[in-house]
Amino acid sequence: MPTGRPISGSRTVATWLALACLVAGASRAGAAEVEAAQRGTLFLEPSNIKGNAGITVFHPQTDVSATFASGLGIAAGYAVDVVSGATPRVFGVRNDATGRPVDAISGATKFSDVRQQVHGGLSYARPVGDVAASYSYGWEHDYRSHAVTVNTRTDVLDHALTINLSYTHNFDSVCDAANVDTGGIPLARQALANSNNCFKGTPDVATRSLNIDAVEPSLTWALTPRLDLQGGGTALVLDGFQSNPYRQVDLGRAGARPQETLPQFRQRYALFLRSAYAVPAARASIQAMARVYRDSWGVRAATAEVLLQSYVTRFLLWSLRGRATAQGGAVFYEDAQTYFLHGPNGKYWTGDRELSPMQNLLTGSQLTYLHIPEAGQHHFISELDASLKFELLFYRLDSVYAPNADRKFAGILQLAVSARF
Amino acid sequence: MRSPSFFKVGIVMLLASLAGGCGHFGVKAHQRELLADRIMSFEGNAQERAADEHVLSNREGAVGATGTSGGGCGCN
Repeated sequence: MPTGRPISGSRTVATWLALACLVAGASRAGAAEVEAAQRGTLFLEPSNIKGNAGITVFHPQTDVSATFASGLGIAAGYAVDVVSGATPRVFGVRNDATGRPVDAISGATKFSDVRQQVHGGLSYARPVGDVAASYSYGWEHDYRSHAVTVNTRTDVLDHALTINLSYTHNFDSVCDAANVDTGGIPLARQALANSNNCFKGTPDVATRSLNIDAVEPSLTWALTPRLDLQGGGTALVLDGFQSNPYRQVDLGRAGARPQETLPQFRQRYALFLRSAYAVPAARASIQAMARVYRDSWGVRAATAEVLLQSYVTRFLLWSLRGRATAQGGAVFYEDAQTYFLHGPNGKYWTGDRELSPMQNLLTGSQLTYLHIPEAGQHHFISELDASLKFELLFYRLDSVYAPNADRKFAGILQLAVSARF
Repeated sequence: MRSPSFFKVGIVMLLASLAGGCGHFGVKAHQRELLADRIMSFEGNAQERAADEHVLSNREGAVGATGTSGGGCGCN
């Protein structure tokens, strides 16, 4: 488990100073527009088992961008995940003194970790489209990620159609137990004990690679003066280590407890259709989205989302969001009791809730204050937004022996401020 | 869920919706006042979208088709 070393203060201050310098430098360089945004998200997923901490994530983000009259744009940002809570190291059931199966989540282990990410990019806007390229680096005690993204957008047919194409490649590294004595037998693999020696070259740990290619084309169509349509898809190919290195799975009555083992290769595909319909009489809009998904591990999912947005006053925007997802499990997924009673279904096994059959329901609301000066007035800050959002995410699993069955819901609180200069 | 028809339904939905509007390419610039409002934007606020997708990509088995790309362990 990550050991919760404190976030580096000097590195954090340096990052904030760099972002502040970017804003100041862009202003002095004559940028047509400079935008700075700060957001904080608090994610709370409690456990219904007394004494278990559940999961808490605090996710602050800072982003700045500048656009110049030439069409050139520059952007940079910094984001952190401060994660704490308790999560079970073993996915399985054990028998208590009476022989009754007991869910192993009661043995959840406390942990904490900090994930950080910096990103930056350049863009060039043309009258009928733009091109952009960006790079991000994310790091935590047991995971490192380099990602390069290129994106292009083109308007055609008098701006009635917008074609967007995005490609991302990740060069990721995952810390894992070395497992040099297993002879290639998955059942003999041991889980990573902690992240103390990760990326230090010690013989007890190994660094596994994970490469991800993602292609996302989309087409947006201004269909009528009130209706926009958008359709598109995503193709993701992941090649490398994708298991949770800390997780173990109870397999069979003989007491085998190997590390979670997932296939090295995964192809993931999604198609979506979105619409946005304006309701001028109510100064409102209705957006709807439908998505279908499948992957080479056998997970299939369907998602529907509706977003209502309405101006309460000229300065106040209110929105209401609902989202539902239903998914089937991966072909090798079994619940903890089945793994215990019958062993694995093939050579892979997992305790990942997101690979189990489940339904999610998300609902919430957001209030945004918009400060836009009257036309003709000149202010240092040309626009200011402040928003508060609260959402609830409910999980419905198909078994009491499913992963994280003790966590039935999560609360998401978000506070954000952004300004344009 | 049955595999062959499942994905085809999505493709048919997409093509039918797009084909349904043939002949309506002519939304002129002066007709786009409503479409230009921020509440009609699919992308919305980029930072908010990144935060939302960060949450959902770690809590759903499905990803994509929302502007999110890239990895991240999400081990916990």
